[in-house]
Amino acid sequence: MVDLSTNFAGIPLRNPVVLASGTCGYGEELEPFVAMSSLGGIVTKTITPQPRSGNRPPRIVETAAGMLNAIGLQNPGLDGFLKDKWPYLSRLDTQVIVNIAAPTAKEHGEMAAALDQVDGIAGLEVNISSPNMKDGGMLFGCNPQASCSVIQEVCRATTLPVIAKLTPNVTDIVEIARAVEDGGASGISMINTLVGMAVDIDQRRSVLANVTGGLSGPAIKPVALAMVWKVHKAVDLPIMGIGGIANANDALEFMLVGAKAVQVGTASFSVPDVGAQIPEGLSQYCAKNGIDDIQSLVGTLEV
Amino acid sequence: MTATHHPVPRNPLDENALVHSTEEVAEAVFLTRLTSPSIAKHIEPGQFVQIHLRDEAIPLLRIPLSVAAVDRAGCLIDVLYEAVGPKTNLLSRLSAAASVRCLGPIGNSFPAPGRHQRVVLIGGGVGLPPLLFFGHSLISCGHEAGVDLLVGARTAAKHLDSERLHRAVSSVAIATDDGSAGHAGLVTELLEQKLSVAGVEDVVVYTCGPHPMMRAVASICADSKVPCFASLEEYMACGYGVCVGCVVETKLAADRHRSEYERYSRICVDGPVYDAAQIIWD
Repeated sequence: MVDLSTNFAGIPLRNPVVLASGTCGYGEELEPFVAMSSLGGIVTKTITPQPRSGNRPPRIVETAAGMLNAIGLQNPGLDGFLKDKWPYLSRLDTQVIVNIAAPTAKEHGEMAAALDQVDGIAGLEVNISSPNMKDGGMLFGCNPQASCSVIQEVCRATTLPVIAKLTPNVTDIVEIARAVEDGGASGISMINTLVGMAVDIDQRRSVLANVTGGLSGPAIKPVALAMVWKVHKAVDLPIMGIGGIANANDALEFMLVGAKAVQVGTASFSVPDVGAQIPEGLSQYCAKNGIDDIQSLVGTLEV
Repeated sequence: MTATHHPVPRNPLDENALVHSTEEVAEAVFLTRLTSPSIAKHIEPGQFVQIHLRDEAIPLLRIPLSVAAVDRAGCLIDVLYEAVGPKTNLLSRLSAAASVRCLGPIGNSFPAPGRHQRVVLIGGGVGLPPLLFFGHSLISCGHEAGVDLLVGARTAAKHLDSERLHRAVSSVAIATDDGSAGHAGLVTELLEQKLSVAGVEDVVVYTCGPHPMMRAVASICADSKVPCFASLEEYMACGYGVCVGCVVETKLAADRHRSEYERYSRICVDGPVYDAAQIIWD
């Protein structure tokens, strides 16, 4: 029997496959397709202190081997989340990591303090990387000092594991990774989407109402792999690899370059149960190659 | 009595479907018949499916397509689409017995009209399929008050043949932008004529098509105090509610008791059929 279990930054995972924020809602919509017991965990859609409407449509468009989104963090806010979304999430047979974002470092801390009081949350993922948030997200994640201070505020307010989600839209991602390590993060998830745009030549307009959006899907996998590799070499924090993972082979690539766990995002849009298929594929790979513990592969890339 | 009841949608499922046949029914407009047993059994007029052509990076996302007809006993659904992009072109070229994944039924369905309500279906371009399914199901159920179809297209070659249209409804009137068939002009002009000649008493309108057409239909119906239901379309990624990509702004947000979170409604799971008076048609 292959052991896929791991402990990621203090969160015990039955396998290293987690559904990424913004691609699994607040769990409910996946119920017809995915047995939660087959997943390592899920990360909720970002919640902010107050409810948000999100951006005007069009919010998404398909591009070559990927898609752009500019949803704009439509979410029920912290209170709405706790009242309407958490009761369902709390009953799921998988680890639930709550993704948070806020306009200031202080408000990140206040959200963390409130969530610290809630039983059953596995950890917090701090969204300092959304390219679609005009008052936060990537604004913090592009700056080492701001990244550090947001993570510090969150860590001060909670004993939950704190995962910093990094943006690739920076000159040197290693510098940001070191900053969140200094801030006290227990883990890193990377990468969020790359800023991109699509143009309609008939209308001579950007397809997205928000003009720019975040690129995700297979198109960004090579970028994500290179960044995970760099950060793995530079910091000691465990990494959840994200970026275009659509099957077990993709997940293994991320583990070889240093990811202890992975998040599956855009692939779920086309194949709703892909998150359940990947652990099976990982088991098969390990069985075929005589690997007892999948964690023995992490960071073993030969160069 | 007015058409207000929206049936509660059932959970969609993702099943293997086989291409039964594909036919070009108008210029670059294809009808693909799929063997999709569970969806054929449950789908209602107005609901749609998300078709996954293959597990590759290009194309990445599924194609959302409305169902134009169903053969429940034969486990068949018909999707009708214009081959305009890579995905619809690919679908149109799949050979018989090719396998695809089909997610559905998705979304709500057209609310049933009152027994005495005359039904006017008004569609343009790719908006026709769900109206054909709805019209046919009303006629099959013996909707005696009548079902009139108004349909617009750019040019005659884009229209389905008249026999195919008449099969689904009691009467058909067509319009073309270039005047090559039927009324020369907008299909919405046919609606205005119809309402002015036949009156608006006991009429209910259902529409699906390009956004500007539906906006005009909604406006005509609002002015005439005729109930109107619109089946909307938007760029879509998942089709089951998680991505929150395919949204429309509704008037719900004007209600002070509602949160900003509810300003935009997800067309895939909360729609695609809305009371046209509840939509902000910018």
